[in-house]
Amino acid sequence: VTCAALVSLLSDYIDGSLAPEPRAALEAHLAACDKCHIVLDTTQCTILLYRVCESPSLAAERREALLRRLEKACRRSV
Amino acid sequence: VTSEGSTATSTLDELACLESMRRGDPTCLGGFFEVWADRLYSLSLRLTGDPAAAEDIVQEAFVKLMAGADRIEGRSRLATWLYRVAYNASMDRLREQKKLAPVPADEDDEAALPMPTTLVEFGRSPEAMLRDAEMRHALDEAIQSLPPSLRAAFLLRDVEGLTTAEAAEALGLTETNLKVRLHRARLLLRERLSAFVARGSGGARS
Repeated sequence: VTCAALVSLLSDYIDGSLAPEPRAALEAHLAACDKCHIVLDTTQCTILLYRVCESPSLAAERREALLRRLEKACRRSV
Repeated sequence: VTSEGSTATSTLDELACLESMRRGDPTCLGGFFEVWADRLYSLSLRLTGDPAAAEDIVQEAFVKLMAGADRIEGRSRLATWLYRVAYNASMDRLREQKKLAPVPADEDDEAALPMPTTLVEFGRSPEAMLRDAEMRHALDEAIQSLPPSLRAAFLLRDVEGLTTAEAAEALGLTETNLKVRLHRARLLLRERLSAFVARGSGGARS
């Protein structure tokens, strides 16, 4: 496994969708290559950062007004 | 073994709820709205960058859902249907505003992967990083810098937690193309955040 091959398989590895053989080859490379280890680590951290950071949400008063409009639209729709 | 999540995160019987809404009964609209409004809003806002447009898109999606022209079977189909409506409406807005650059020919080409160049450990836990306002700003900037098609793949799969099959269906892509876009998006975001972290530690050393 080369560094370039590792990069191309990185998402499959992170998602756990690699077959056992390529996964083992990739893990052997990771254990020996500091650079690739950093790439894996920082990619996983990047995903986690976006997963746990707060998503934008509707302001309370906009939310309430929108729900009221939708309730009206629901009753009208029949 | 797969890390793919499920979109089933609530106990609300959404399909029964949908049926009653389609009969003009808004009793359970509130619960349905609670589950879906912010998810659709945040996707639309992160795609269009326009809060008013994002709010309109949420409204359109609900109205269209309640109008009931499409048959929707199963919870996963409901999720992909809603995300698809929000995604398509967001892309329409970008097109109208001419903010949508043509998709590069190599976007779905795995050979043209962006290779990592900045290699630094982030050095802090995600929780510690997120307490840093500049970091949060860098996260926003990084995701906004992605082409919307890559951004959507990342948001649906990694943030909203859809499976590959669900995200592909929502975006009208094959699973292979979805995976290529997701991979590119992850690598580009990693690169941008790494550059931000590298600038920070460089500044601290000097």
